[in-house]
Amino acid sequence: MSPVSATYWGLPGYIIFWVLFAIAFGVFLRRSYFLYRLLRLGKPERRSDRIGQRAIFMLSVVSSQWCALKTVGFTDLAGLGHALMFWGFGFFLIGYVIIFGVDGGLGLSLPPAFEALYRSILDIAALFVIAAVIVAAIKRYIVKPKRLEREESPKEKIIMALLFTTMIVLMALHYGTEALKYSAYNISPSPIIGGLLANSLTSAGISPATLSATYTAFWWINYVLLLGALVYAPHSAHLHPLFSPANIFFRPLGPKGALEPVSAEETENFGVSKLQDFTWKQLLDLYSCTWCGRCHAACPAQLSGKSLSPREIILNLKDHLLEEGPRLLKGKAEASSKLIGDVVAEDALWACTTCGACIDACAVKVEHVRRIMDLRRNLVLTQNKMPETAQLMLRNMQSRGHPWAGIQSLRLRGDWTDGLDVKVLADGDTADTLFWVGCTGALVERNVKATISMTRVLKAAGVDFAVLGEAETCCGDPARRVGYEFQFQMMAEQNIETFKSHNIKEIVTSCPHCYNTLKNEYPQYGGDFKVVHYTQFIGNLIAQGKLKLANGLNAKLTYHDPCYLGRYNGVYQEPRQILQSIPQANLVEMARTRDKAFCCGGGGGHMWIEEQSGTTKINQMRLDDALKTGAEQVVTACPYCLQMFEEGIEHKNIKDSLKAKDLAEIVEAAMQPSESKGAA
Amino acid sequence: MDNHKGVLICGEITDGKLAPVTIELIGLGRKLADELGEQSSALLMGSKASGLAQEAIAYGADNVFVADDSLLDQYNPDAYTQIVAGVCQKALPSIMLLGHTDIGMDLAPRLNARVGGGVAMDCIALAIDPATKLLASTRPVFGGNAHATMVSKSARPQMATIRPKTVPPAARDASRQGQVIPVEGKVDPAAIKVKVVERIKEQVEGVKLEDAEVVVSGGRGIGGAQNFAMLRDLASVLGGAVGASRPACDEGWVPARLQVGQSGKVVSPKLYIAVAISGAMAHIAGCLGSKAIVAINKDKDANIFSVAHFGVVGDYKQILPALTAKLKELKSA
Amino acid sequence: MNTIVCVKQVLDPEIPPAKFKIDPTAKQVIPPPGVPPVISVYDERAIEAACRLKDKHKGKITAISMGTEKAADVIKHAIAMGADDGFVLQDAAFENLDSFGTAYVLGKAIGKIGEYDLVLCGRQAADWGAGEVGSILAEMLGIPVVTLAADIQAADNTLKVKRIVSDGFEVLEAPMPCLVTVSGEIGLPRLPAGPRMMMARKKVVSVWKASDIGADSAKLDKANAHTEVTALTVPTRKTECEIITGSTPTEAAANLAAKINVLI
Repeated sequence: MSPVSATYWGLPGYIIFWVLFAIAFGVFLRRSYFLYRLLRLGKPERRSDRIGQRAIFMLSVVSSQWCALKTVGFTDLAGLGHALMFWGFGFFLIGYVIIFGVDGGLGLSLPPAFEALYRSILDIAALFVIAAVIVAAIKRYIVKPKRLEREESPKEKIIMALLFTTMIVLMALHYGTEALKYSAYNISPSPIIGGLLANSLTSAGISPATLSATYTAFWWINYVLLLGALVYAPHSAHLHPLFSPANIFFRPLGPKGALEPVSAEETENFGVSKLQDFTWKQLLDLYSCTWCGRCHAACPAQLSGKSLSPREIILNLKDHLLEEGPRLLKGKAEASSKLIGDVVAEDALWACTTCGACIDACAVKVEHVRRIMDLRRNLVLTQNKMPETAQLMLRNMQSRGHPWAGIQSLRLRGDWTDGLDVKVLADGDTADTLFWVGCTGALVERNVKATISMTRVLKAAGVDFAVLGEAETCCGDPARRVGYEFQFQMMAEQNIETFKSHNIKEIVTSCPHCYNTLKNEYPQYGGDFKVVHYTQFIGNLIAQGKLKLANGLNAKLTYHDPCYLGRYNGVYQEPRQILQSIPQANLVEMARTRDKAFCCGGGGGHMWIEEQSGTTKINQMRLDDALKTGAEQVVTACPYCLQMFEEGIEHKNIKDSLKAKDLAEIVEAAMQPSESKGAA
Repeated sequence: MDNHKGVLICGEITDGKLAPVTIELIGLGRKLADELGEQSSALLMGSKASGLAQEAIAYGADNVFVADDSLLDQYNPDAYTQIVAGVCQKALPSIMLLGHTDIGMDLAPRLNARVGGGVAMDCIALAIDPATKLLASTRPVFGGNAHATMVSKSARPQMATIRPKTVPPAARDASRQGQVIPVEGKVDPAAIKVKVVERIKEQVEGVKLEDAEVVVSGGRGIGGAQNFAMLRDLASVLGGAVGASRPACDEGWVPARLQVGQSGKVVSPKLYIAVAISGAMAHIAGCLGSKAIVAINKDKDANIFSVAHFGVVGDYKQILPALTAKLKELKSA
Repeated sequence: MNTIVCVKQVLDPEIPPAKFKIDPTAKQVIPPPGVPPVISVYDERAIEAACRLKDKHKGKITAISMGTEKAADVIKHAIAMGADDGFVLQDAAFENLDSFGTAYVLGKAIGKIGEYDLVLCGRQAADWGAGEVGSILAEMLGIPVVTLAADIQAADNTLKVKRIVSDGFEVLEAPMPCLVTVSGEIGLPRLPAGPRMMMARKKVVSVWKASDIGADSAKLDKANAHTEVTALTVPTRKTECEIITGSTPTEAAANLAAKINVLI
């Protein structure tokens, strides 16, 4: 009865079955090995720590399809579709293994009742798969949401078309084969749909001989098609089914906001200028991309019209790897086209604000930002190429220890303490709690107001803190984000020494970039301090009863999550709790909020690097989000965001409808009058 | 030192006439010489020199040294140094003055080294100290933040280059009498090591923002790229560069490299004219080093007026063209 | 091509005007606390010019700086940009020298360094801004000098220099060895690249005293100075804005024009 047990042209079906299998599997393995060798072109990287934790995460996320389901939103149900496709096909895969084991002459046999049950599951699964594929095709070819906007090459178009067609054909073959089998051999019980189809075939009066012959033919077609799919899978450029679980397994476990230092052994070629400079994990990312385009649709640079598309960077690099791979494996050191320049445009690299929306949106944990930073490092450290505005900023970091070129004509960084009763640490002084102001908060007039507010709040709460005054230098974040790594390292080491010399235990900062750097990156240089963002600190003060916010604030507010505080460090709730604890504060959320918050445009060195001309300004897009809520005030907890909003408000001439505030200013205004009397 | 007497003006000839700065210096030399009770002389070089000697006398020179050599028609550092040093060593002036011009800036330090005196560069005021009878030269230092007064106690001659237009031009008296002294010796070709190969006149467009002496900057109030033409006209008349505040650059009205401000370029020209700029501190940070800031703005409360030295409250579209026209008129006068 | 670059470390010119304070007795500027000194802006461009020549013609760049021990930072900066070596010239006898004295010390140091094809200086120091030392130094060394360079090209043993003049450029040719002073038009100095930054950081900069360079104490004696500063004052800055009016905008403009004309 099994098609495999028959004889064809003198050959036993088993031989044909297993020979075909061996060939197909062999080709599959050969190609997979080639792909693996391509990964080995990359530099080593240690991602095998905490194997147990990694395995559990990967298995649970992939089998539950949380990787896809987490992307589901009201306007984007594709994740659900993928889950259905995945589970559906998962059942089929198991089914194929079982059934081929049975039919393939391995001597397994299934009780008919079990087989019918299992086939019924497959029948229903197939419906879901077909539905999901049809919807996916409609989305990709007709609806075309932003994230699927792409100039696909003919090859890519064929791959997707083949994928959709193959899946539908396999499902059809499943029904067909099933119907034919059950009608030809009159087996009972029969699966739900297969049984119905079998009945209609039987009642059509087709002879059992015809049915069984057709069944045999369908069976072999199904088998060959499956083997074909197996062979094609690693040869197509659509590799995520094979590699993305591994990518999830090898995901980064360190703090999200931390970049790695440049390797100490490197002396000439910094960052990445060719494929072999990437680590194997970064190359694995390239295989794992699912072409979903969510990173593209979440990227503020892309949405504001810049030439940067995170997805394009990944896919272009993938094509580059597959094209150049054979030559590189043969030992040629150079690829035939330049990575920076031909494959990835310099413009695109500089347009990134490092907001991290791409990483968050990615279902398979591709690391886009780290890659862009590595390419920037090569441009800056090895090729000495960067936008002029970035250069001016970096030169100022070198000679004056802060990125704000020109501002020293207005004030020096210790000046903000003039007239305030603030303890400024002198040589030899010690303090437990340091209020780290940051360059922007000390030097830029608008932000100095927020710093002074913060100081008053701390004093009102009776906090014993000190500041470094003019001894504070930049934390180094702007240098690192622009790729000027050694400057960052020097500043980090200098600051860590300063902290240690004053015996600092705890650092409170107003700037999320400083917060991220001091907390997540300074440990790389021996800096081990307790670092707290002021929203967390103030939250604690309120919880401890040391600060009472009793003055009502009769205004509609919306809170903007700074990327480096929210997405990178998970601090969403604390600022909101503070705002909500103020009487009469009417807090509304923007549509894109919390981890979906839209960048203000100030990160990644963009307080200084000019945005590509002729494009929309990112900060204006975010202000539109704020205006849509009807709020009178947009509140933030980051000096860059505050600057970007003030500049945008000025530009759009909406000073009368929207005010930008730092959370510290709101808190100061909300403090009970009697408490603020004792303050500076 | 004791045998050094009198004032020597190292003159320049442009377009066949005494250069304006030379006329100013001859006047200044006359004044200083009178205070010292000594003579004032001028040195003119080039084939036109003899013809202008009388002019120099008319402006106040007692003696005019004439080095009539066509090799001196165009400035050559080595040639001029040789001739002037020679005259200086013959005439032994107590004071030697040059204009702080292309020539003066280059020639004075070399001369100083060659003849061994002391020099003060780019002076804005010169006076004879009544007690010591020394020449006290005042010059701006530290980017104009301070003024330094310098003297040469013993080194002679006491040299100075004077910034053009800081002293009034001399009064002309055609009846004045004086001596014309031909300079002996021609330029020694062997002494000329540096050769001028080419001279290229350039449009003011090329003045770099950071180095310009005058900057005319536009802000958001300018309203459009085409309106910047008015600023370019004004800058052109003043020999300066055009700058802009960040909003104007963001709008794409001018290239980003013209941005003056805390995240743009820091400039410290002699004159900064802020047109339709509100004066956000971000912008001010880039121009506060300017010697003089002039503001033109519709809004009398605009912050720019708190840092400007002079200002006009009004619509720049009405003020700028008239300003440019009047300045053109004054400059050609 | 062997180049020597003279660099000066100066007080940071970028400070709020209100913080600019002088000591009238000492005739010095009082440095505001917490503001580190910087490399003089034109000297940095001189280093850039030297690096560009080295990029093209190979050779060695040596940087020298007369100053305090902090001047080692500017030498390191020069090395980070592309200089091969550098020295600080520090001695009590070198303090408060005038231009002649400064040129003398630099000349002696250059003599100790030995062979060179080119000496580069900034066109003027960012603090006192006189623009003399380069030319005086050239005269002392007996080499030709070209000032205000916006571009320097070398071919055979001749230097082709594009010089800034008020209405354009001049192109001059000078035989090497010679001295060139560099102006800002040469362009932005390069940002030190990674490897050189690390190298410069580790460098221990040698200090030369008067005895090391064979400086004659008579030449350094303040009594023999060619010039001295007798007064240092801060001109009072008018912060009141004089609003210029007129019965019509045109008249106001004319009045403003008259005011501006005197300023420049």
